[in-house]
Amino acid sequence: MVETILFYGFAALILISALLMIIAPNIYHSALFLALCLFGVAGIYVVLNSYFLAGIQVLVYIGAVVVLALFVINLTRRILDVDSDQHNEQLLPAVIISGLTAFLIISAVLKTNWGTMIAHRVAQDNTALTGRLLLNEFVLPFEIVSVLLLAALIGAISIVAGDKGAQK
Amino acid sequence: MTITLAHYVVLSALLFAIGIIGILTRRNAIGILMSLELLFNAAAINMVAFSKYLTPSEIYGDIFTIFIIAIAAAESVLGLAIILAMFRKRETVNADEMNIMKY
Repeated sequence: MVETILFYGFAALILISALLMIIAPNIYHSALFLALCLFGVAGIYVVLNSYFLAGIQVLVYIGAVVVLALFVINLTRRILDVDSDQHNEQLLPAVIISGLTAFLIISAVLKTNWGTMIAHRVAQDNTALTGRLLLNEFVLPFEIVSVLLLAALIGAISIVAGDKGAQK
Repeated sequence: MTITLAHYVVLSALLFAIGIIGILTRRNAIGILMSLELLFNAAAINMVAFSKYLTPSEIYGDIFTIFIIAIAAAESVLGLAIILAMFRKRETVNADEMNIMKY
């Protein structure tokens, strides 16, 4: 019962804030609605008993990605201009395409015979098991991701810094 | 009534659809990148939900979601760096005004 209420609450939070995010005329408001939506996804992880993932979601997405997006918005907004129109004229084709995509996925889900597999699940917290798996079975992808993050760090710095000679 | 796997899949399908609308209708390149994050999250919800319902004793879905989050962070950093560099050269962040490959 509690799970039902929490699921519908967080689902409504996610969908409403995602809709507001894509229709917000101000890009800054859009980033704040994105933070709200990601917070709802963290809540969904809590409903699914993945507490570690919920923490990672809040720390990495809301704490890093959204804040970075806000910084870049502040750095790239033309202060003297009025906020120009943030949307192009492709709203109707976009709604049709994404509506068809959602219809396809949802009808496939509803037509599938899942049997009794999806009725309920075992509620358990898997944080300790996550750590053990990350350092045993998945240690190679773990290290590759850390190298990838280092490469992204160096790449971002070199892209943004540019070469000093060209700027003068 | 209990929450089944179908609920989570429908939620992630709707989130994915909203993200596609955002990608296709935003002019601001930062808005497009933020809509991409919605797609990543829709996929991640699917991963965790399928893992929890179909193989409750194993948590490979959680592991994959951790990698999705890490790679999405790297992608977001690089995308925003490219947008910032583009803004310095072209004085715009609108995707429909970035219409030449070489400047």
